Amino acid sequence: MDFVAYNEIMICNTPICNVPVSGVVIGYEFRIKYPSYRGCFLSCIEELYFEVDGQRLSETEVFFCLNGKQFTIGELPELFREYWFIRDPAVIRVLKPGGLSKGEHTIRVYMKHRVPYTGYFGTYLVLESDRMETRSCEG
Amino acid sequence: MKEDIRIGVSLYSLTTPFIHGVLDLEGCLKKVHDMGYKGVEIVAAQMVPEYPFPSDKWLYMFRGLLEQYELEPVCWSAYIDMGTRTDRDLTEAEIIQYTVNDLIYAKKAGFSMVRTQHAISPAIFRKMIPFCKQLDMKLTIEMHWPHHPEVPVWKEYFKIMKGEGKGYLGFVPDFSIFQYMPHALYLRQAIEYGCRKEALDKIVKIHEEGNCSFPDNPAERETYCLKRIEDGDFTEIEKHYAAEMFGKFNHPARIEQFRDVIDCVFYIHGKFYYLDNDRHDPCIPYEELIPKFVEYGYKGFIASEFEGHHFYSEVDCEEQLAHYVAMNKNILDMI
Repeated sequence: MDFVAYNEIMICNTPICNVPVSGVVIGYEFRIKYPSYRGCFLSCIEELYFEVDGQRLSETEVFFCLNGKQFTIGELPELFREYWFIRDPAVIRVLKPGGLSKGEHTIRVYMKHRVPYTGYFGTYLVLESDRMETRSCEG
Repeated sequence: MKEDIRIGVSLYSLTTPFIHGVLDLEGCLKKVHDMGYKGVEIVAAQMVPEYPFPSDKWLYMFRGLLEQYELEPVCWSAYIDMGTRTDRDLTEAEIIQYTVNDLIYAKKAGFSMVRTQHAISPAIFRKMIPFCKQLDMKLTIEMHWPHHPEVPVWKEYFKIMKGEGKGYLGFVPDFSIFQYMPHALYLRQAIEYGCRKEALDKIVKIHEEGNCSFPDNPAERETYCLKRIEDGDFTEIEKHYAAEMFGKFNHPARIEQFRDVIDCVFYIHGKFYYLDNDRHDPCIPYEELIPKFVEYGYKGFIASEFEGHHFYSEVDCEEQLAHYVAMNKNILDMI
């Protein structure tokens, strides 16, 4: 199967960081990259969800940050002018009062994404990238 | 003449170190320079940080890097990202806009050729001629698997390339169209996904026998192969790989199909997936292809295009490229 090896880059090898606002921790962040050999328009992401420590996150508690902007997951299908460069991490910001505890946590990312140049037979190749990694939270 | 053939490189071959952050774009240029390459291709959607709207500042910086590393800009590879939008495909006006942009960006970065994809359509391809003439740029369409010169739309493309687009419009055969056997990384992955080694060997043997028994009839060959799988003792995943293998590698293009269109071949993608030696690719018949392209009169670059990075990240692309260059040198020396 083509494209499979690119899933390795999807969850960045960087720590999870809690997000303080005026001394109050409102949530945490981790980084992901687009799992392919080239970048994509965000509109090509057909489904994206996350599990942290086995718990699926609801869309309302997740923000997708890229190119200096912040988007909701629901906005992604409309973002056909927003390009995700293959080496740029997107920051996934999760609202969770108090953030995550210091130590290791599992992150699972599931992404269903359309390869936009493959539609010449009438349907587009749609890939499913599914990756789980353990990352540490620095508290 | 064989002296008219030059072996270049697509920076796409360095996908693994690039996407893993081991090499940045300048690192890739330095790497291919150090390997002795002169001509390079860039896949803009992959390596241009400001894609799809790179600034003049970035384009001229990139041009300077190419000069610094003594590299000849050969091909700017573009896409027809028809499915960019969720609600509809790109319109003709949008495809023209993106393609004109690529011609302009390529020109500014010092390239004289843009590679696009066959989804551009004959009508739009024809409409690009004035832009190509104005900018003195070549526009080429990649002929990629599963296409080959007998596919009807290519007859239309050849007519345009040989007619009103002569000298400006051409095509880029990707040697994947000649692939007749599954590569080593594909087979390794099949085993990791659950195929039994002995069953996979049997499937490959059936595939080989099918190719030998029905050399000129891909449909009959596929039916024959699938029937043997149905009658055999194979698991679901083995059947899946068998069907994929028979469908993908049982109707390679024929080299003689290129004799009459060689004047439209402006560039070649020397696709390969895995080489464990300097002499022979067991999947793509380089020993036949290179002498025939020389005989037919091809002049230009063959880009080393390693694509094993789709399957495994630990395969060393530098080692693969070294095998590829040596193999082609050996073949050219034999002519």
